[in-house]
Amino acid sequence: MILTTKNLRKEVPSGESNLVILDDITFSLEEGKSLAITGPSGSGKSTLLALLAGLDTSTSGDIVLDGIKLNLLDEEERAILRKDKVGFVFQSFELLPGLTALENVMLPSELKSEENPKEKGEYFLERVGLSDRQHHYPNQLSGGEQQRVAIARAFACSAKILFADEPTGNLDPKNGKLISDLLFEVNSEADNALVIVTHDQDLASQCDKKIELKLGKIVG
Amino acid sequence: MLASLSLKLFIREIRSGYLTSMLLSLVLAVTIVSGISLFTDRLEKVLNSETKEFLGGDLKFESNEDSIKDVLKTLNLKDSKSSEMAIFASVIFSEEEMQLSSIKAVDNSYPLIGELELQNSSGTYKTKENPTPGTLWIDERLKNLLSLKYGDEIYVGDATFVFEATIIYEPDRGSTNFAFAPKTIMNIKDLDKTNLIQPGSRVEYNYLFTGPEEEISQIRSTLEKNKNPGDDIESLNEDDSSLGKTVDRSENFFLLGGLIAVLLSACTIGISSQRFARRHVSYVAILKTLGMNLFQIRGLYLLLFFYITLLTLVLGLTLGWFLQSNFISLMDSYFPTELPAPSLYPLYVTCVTVLICQFGFIYPHISKLLNISPMRVLKNDISFNQNILPIFFMGLLAFLLLLFIYTNQITLSLIIFSGVIIFSFVGIGFIYLLLGKSKLGLGAQDPVSLAFSELRRRKLSNSFQIFAFTVAIGLSLITFSASKNLLGSWQDSIPENSPNNFAININEEDKASMKRFLSENDIKVNLFYPVANAQIVRKQDKDNIIDRNFNITWIKDLPEQNEIIDGEWFQEGVKNGISISDQISERYDLQKNDEVIIQMEDGSIETYIQSIRAVDWESFSPNFFVIGHPSLFEEKSTTHITSFFIPKSKQMVAAELMREFRTVSVFSIEELIKQVRDIVNQVTKALNSILLLTCLSALFLAFAALQDGFDQRRHQSAILRTLGATGKLVKTSSLIEFSILGLVSGLLGSAIAYTGVYFIEARVFETIPGFYPEIWLMGPIIGILIVSGLSLYLVNGLMKQSPKDLLRLQT
Ligand SMILES: Nc1ncnc2c1ncn2[C@@H]1O[C@H](COP(=O)(O)OP(=O)(O)OP(=O)(O)O)[C@@H](O)[C@H]1O
Ligand SMILES: [Mg+2]
Repeated sequence: MILTTKNLRKEVPSGESNLVILDDITFSLEEGKSLAITGPSGSGKSTLLALLAGLDTSTSGDIVLDGIKLNLLDEEERAILRKDKVGFVFQSFELLPGLTALENVMLPSELKSEENPKEKGEYFLERVGLSDRQHHYPNQLSGGEQQRVAIARAFACSAKILFADEPTGNLDPKNGKLISDLLFEVNSEADNALVIVTHDQDLASQCDKKIELKLGKIVG
Repeated sequence: MLASLSLKLFIREIRSGYLTSMLLSLVLAVTIVSGISLFTDRLEKVLNSETKEFLGGDLKFESNEDSIKDVLKTLNLKDSKSSEMAIFASVIFSEEEMQLSSIKAVDNSYPLIGELELQNSSGTYKTKENPTPGTLWIDERLKNLLSLKYGDEIYVGDATFVFEATIIYEPDRGSTNFAFAPKTIMNIKDLDKTNLIQPGSRVEYNYLFTGPEEEISQIRSTLEKNKNPGDDIESLNEDDSSLGKTVDRSENFFLLGGLIAVLLSACTIGISSQRFARRHVSYVAILKTLGMNLFQIRGLYLLLFFYITLLTLVLGLTLGWFLQSNFISLMDSYFPTELPAPSLYPLYVTCVTVLICQFGFIYPHISKLLNISPMRVLKNDISFNQNILPIFFMGLLAFLLLLFIYTNQITLSLIIFSGVIIFSFVGIGFIYLLLGKSKLGLGAQDPVSLAFSELRRRKLSNSFQIFAFTVAIGLSLITFSASKNLLGSWQDSIPENSPNNFAININEEDKASMKRFLSENDIKVNLFYPVANAQIVRKQDKDNIIDRNFNITWIKDLPEQNEIIDGEWFQEGVKNGISISDQISERYDLQKNDEVIIQMEDGSIETYIQSIRAVDWESFSPNFFVIGHPSLFEEKSTTHITSFFIPKSKQMVAAELMREFRTVSVFSIEELIKQVRDIVNQVTKALNSILLLTCLSALFLAFAALQDGFDQRRHQSAILRTLGATGKLVKTSSLIEFSILGLVSGLLGSAIAYTGVYFIEARVFETIPGFYPEIWLMGPIIGILIVSGLSLYLVNGLMKQSPKDLLRLQT
């Protein structure tokens, strides 16, 4: 198993009492497999994804990622875990505006102190079809192009598991298809696990496994 | 609609805490400006009346004859009052004792200003009268020396008086050269009875005037026309006393501190306005897309800033009032009288300051904000930094304007202004050169390369930060060294065992025995200066009279508190020449190598001016306008003057000395020294609080400048951390980055302070500028500590939040 969760619960303080965003989430995912998380807006998908990727801490319950219990790690250890094992594509891209497309993609390799971040960056930019936009800044790119840079950056993490929060949400159907195909393609090449949050039922059905959230609970 | 919307916006902004740094800076600026200007305003008023009292009137005429009386009659004075007094030295007798005294004979108008404080057997009392004919008032010291009781008889010349009271305080303390000997005050009507004033006896007639300005200047010009050589006219604002200068300089320092605090706050306000504008881009864009027109939006923001101004004025003025009343109470003991109410000027200065801050540092940002197109927001284009130069120049202009308003000196303002600009740009240019072009990638491999790549990437915003830090460090260092210099010069002027007694009228015969007497009593013997009264006449241009007498001395070595500024001190071999003080040189246009004749009672000497000296008149040791070469004066008869320190425990020695050496006058300046020490202590407290407030404004500025860049950093560090950068990497790299910024700003700040201090001390305080090498150390250290410390504080705040929350805040 690359990822298992047990009785996961997330509360956030809201006024006097606490708001429960996620409750009793239990599932598991085998190595190299893909998982789709679906559900209506506000059901807690992004929150769950952030917990799974170690970007946030749960209120209670366990997450085991590649044999490591996330609850036992402190923020510094989680950072190292993210660097070594996790790739993440945000719903809102989150590129660094001061860096070019290439530099954004080079970031993970730099953080890992790899030998040739530039070559790796160029390679993944080529994979997402943006070789000719290497030296453009994010605000010179369209939304779809920015999303492709964000995905290239996630690929460059060479992660064991890649999380993507609505990777095709901002794209037209044609480009959306392109991106999702790319995700599966690169993923199977590297034999990574993939966790995708999506509204797109087609994309969801391409995954090996699927969970649906409603009001913070798994409904199917 | 606008009113309620703007009020809502105002309340929301205040609650959100985003306005805090702007508000704090504004309030701080208003507090400091109003506090300091209120204080100095009142201080000035009280000082004016104090010096007036010290002088005894608005104008004083000193003459060796009473011939001016007739001239005065021709003046047709309506609203002015005048008073005549004759001052001379004479020995006075009790039944058993005798003592030299300085006698002041006063008329019925005495005292023109203020009142006397006297003491008789029934206690102390105050009076505005002169002594009634037949009675005398004398010093406590004289009372002891003559072993008198109230009501005893005193003999002065041929007349007999009744001892009525001892003098505790007299208003015109500034009077006379004879004030050395213990004082006696009598009625001028009794003068003839004493038969002391004979043709040829040394009497000084003083005429004091007070009245409206026009009449005083009329009197002055009449006196100028009729004065004889040796006569002297004195008016207010010629106060060269230690105390006057002390207070004067501290006042200058307050104004400087105020100016600096305002400049710092202004920069903070500029930075926080920029932040404010950036935050409001989307708000304005949405209002625009919702159909609000520019006029309404402008109204909305103008109202918002109107509320802010109102709030800061109310808060700042209240705090300012507390500040000044605190200062006033610090100096309470120094001012015997109720302080006059302040004028409206402080209020005016405060409002003008706020207005300039608004228009120079806030309004340009808002007007740029209003011009934002809604498209920018829809495209999520937050690059609001373009085209920032006009705003920057607007700020600089306001900066200069503030400088000018506060210093009232265009050159000085330009010097400070260009100093700040030049140093900042030199530093920024240096950074640009040093860092070179950015390389590919963020350099996130290790903290050092990340720090340097950040420095390279953020050159523009770093430049602004360096500018802000430099201003903050430089200006607070200036305040620091100015205060240090002031305190230092004060402490130097009254060292611990500085002489507290002067002895004059020491005969040649008494010199040796008096030295022995002092040594026997374990009192350190200082130099005995020969003194004689002399006139100086130009050899060539005899008509160009130098219309006064000088006390002249002759010694081999240059006295400590003197510094030659032109020519040379007497050299071996040459047995000729005199050295004059720079004031005299200026006032009578006497230059080096001018040939002069010194006229003394027993003959004249032909010589020339060999050097010009700067004299520290504030030092409590004998100072001379004219010093001659000793060999010129070998034949001249003379008395001597010396000073010495008598510790508290040996108070009786002074009286003994005077009994032993009847003709010698010993007078104590203990009181004066104490007064100066007290005021220095109190001023020091006020000075330190100004320094503290200035540093606080500097800290605000540094913090605001840092915070400004942190919105971007927050985003970046969140992304780096999701990608697996450890908190340690982010922290270490920002520590390195900001230490470098701090170091550069600290060095630049030191450079600004070093030059600034030079100009300020030379021009504003008019002292010999001191050089403070420690500034070069303090600047960088403070820069590194404060800047990296503050940044660490901010970065730590980021580390506490999970990267997810950080990103959430962002969107
Ligand atoms: N820190 C927080 N404080 C308060 N509420 C929060 C917080 N984080 C998440 N929520 C709430 O939890 C719920 C789930 O949020 P989440 O972003 O996970 O939804 P989502 O399923 O990703 O929705 P969408 O499809 O619109 O992206 C929302 O109602 C959101 O407002
Ligand atoms: Mg979501």
